[in-house]
Amino acid sequence: MSALTFTLKASVTHSIDCRRLTANNLADLSMTEIENLNLLNTKNSPKIGDYFDVSGSDFNHIVFKNTNEKLNYIGHKMTRGQINIEGDCGDFLGSQMRGGSIICNGNANDRVGDQMRRGLILIDGNAGDYCGSRMIAGTIGVFGSVGNYAGFAMKRGTILLTQTPKLQATTQDCGTHTLPFLALLFKSFNVLSTRFNTIKNLRVQRYSGDLACNGNGEILVLRLESN
Amino acid sequence: MIINSIKIDDTFAEAFNMRGTRVIITAQNLKWAYHAANAMTGFATSVIGCGVEAGIECVLSADKTPDGRPGVSVLMFAMGSKVLMQQLETRMGQCILTCPTAAAFAGIAPKEGLEIDKISLGRHLRYFGDGFQTSKLINGIRYWRIPVMDGEFLVQETTGMVRAIGGGNFLILATSQAAALHAAETAIDAMRKIPNVIMPFPGGVVRSGSKVGSKYPKMFASTNDAFCPTLKGLVNSELSEEIESVMEIVIDGLTFEDIATSMRVGIQAICDLGEASGVKRISAGNYGGKLGPHHFKLHGIMGKTAA
Repeated sequence: MSALTFTLKASVTHSIDCRRLTANNLADLSMTEIENLNLLNTKNSPKIGDYFDVSGSDFNHIVFKNTNEKLNYIGHKMTRGQINIEGDCGDFLGSQMRGGSIICNGNANDRVGDQMRRGLILIDGNAGDYCGSRMIAGTIGVFGSVGNYAGFAMKRGTILLTQTPKLQATTQDCGTHTLPFLALLFKSFNVLSTRFNTIKNLRVQRYSGDLACNGNGEILVLRLESN
Repeated sequence: MIINSIKIDDTFAEAFNMRGTRVIITAQNLKWAYHAANAMTGFATSVIGCGVEAGIECVLSADKTPDGRPGVSVLMFAMGSKVLMQQLETRMGQCILTCPTAAAFAGIAPKEGLEIDKISLGRHLRYFGDGFQTSKLINGIRYWRIPVMDGEFLVQETTGMVRAIGGGNFLILATSQAAALHAAETAIDAMRKIPNVIMPFPGGVVRSGSKVGSKYPKMFASTNDAFCPTLKGLVNSELSEEIESVMEIVIDGLTFEDIATSMRVGIQAICDLGEASGVKRISAGNYGGKLGPHHFKLHGIMGKTAA
């Protein structure tokens, strides 16, 4: 079974809300039904087929192609399956996510994983501001850089970075550590073909936060130089 | 039945239903995995006095463990699920949580068509973290990270509990204590290679086989006088004149076949030593067949080899 693939038809200048394009919303729909499905829950909403060429049939593996930073809310509230984004994406990637995994091979905009509770988001490129904001739990990995306010108001969960972000006053440095659970986490990354597969060492700088929200979350910055 | 000049008695070992679980313990190196596992399986020879019977099943190389570190696999058996759960938690808390660099993972995963209950491995242990514990759900499996003084203690939330069998056994009757022990050691070396079983007694061997009941009303088990060489002539002894020492090997396993295989391998290893080893007979312990539902008939088990 090939992955359910959404290929953006043309370069768009306005934002597109992709929150309906998850396994939860599309399972058991036929190709025609998907193409004719309203993109938004409004009366005059454009259809999915207006913007995307749709192919494939595996609802648990969704692929976005020819993407750009205008595609917002990809993976919103998803609970299962995998989404691959072959390019950049917009704001609120994986917001309120409840499970499954999202792989973005390009860059993501602001509010990655906003209010996510479970699941995994891996971004090969950069992420914008408020990465992991209001995160309840789960794992976000950004191989490139992140913008301001990473982990803003996060309660629990892990944000895995390779570069030290601009830290807020409510993020506390806990020192450099070798964390055993990273062995399991990296092993689970191996099937996902991302830049994270190259990581071999378990040495991280651990920042705890957001201390304004109990501080059970963490930003882990990988020490790549000791690989 | 005689194999290589050693007589195999026409009798059977009587075994009981138990509950069993497996835990994978890893550490920075095998030395510390052993320290953890030895502590966890310490004082766990017999359910009569220890609550559980536990032992190290095998050593796992780094590529066979969940976290890529060397480890050992521990099997634990009890007469009921409640005791097993309670003993597992206590031993996890006192022996694995405390052991430097050790981590613990489930050794029995849910499988279709198999009756497996999930029991707590780190689910309650996490409260040791006093609010600083965090969980991580990786590939659908929940792990707990508990901050401890050497770094972080990583433990899987649950492991599997299955129906198992305990009390498979055989007796080695030899002309001297040294001969009986050497034969027992030889058998244990061979049996340690069989998966899904443990021999819970010290070094895998027990010298104080017991019978049910006693002349003392408060004792519910006492020495197996029929197999005590110094009581020949005093009691209705099972031993002929030349037998001077008897050793027993007790086996707990996940299935009937596992125990039968390990008994066959163990007995065969002794028979391979031949007459010169001083071993004269192999027998087995039972209670007349009325107590335990599982009967391991020695002739049936060894018949497969002889044939």
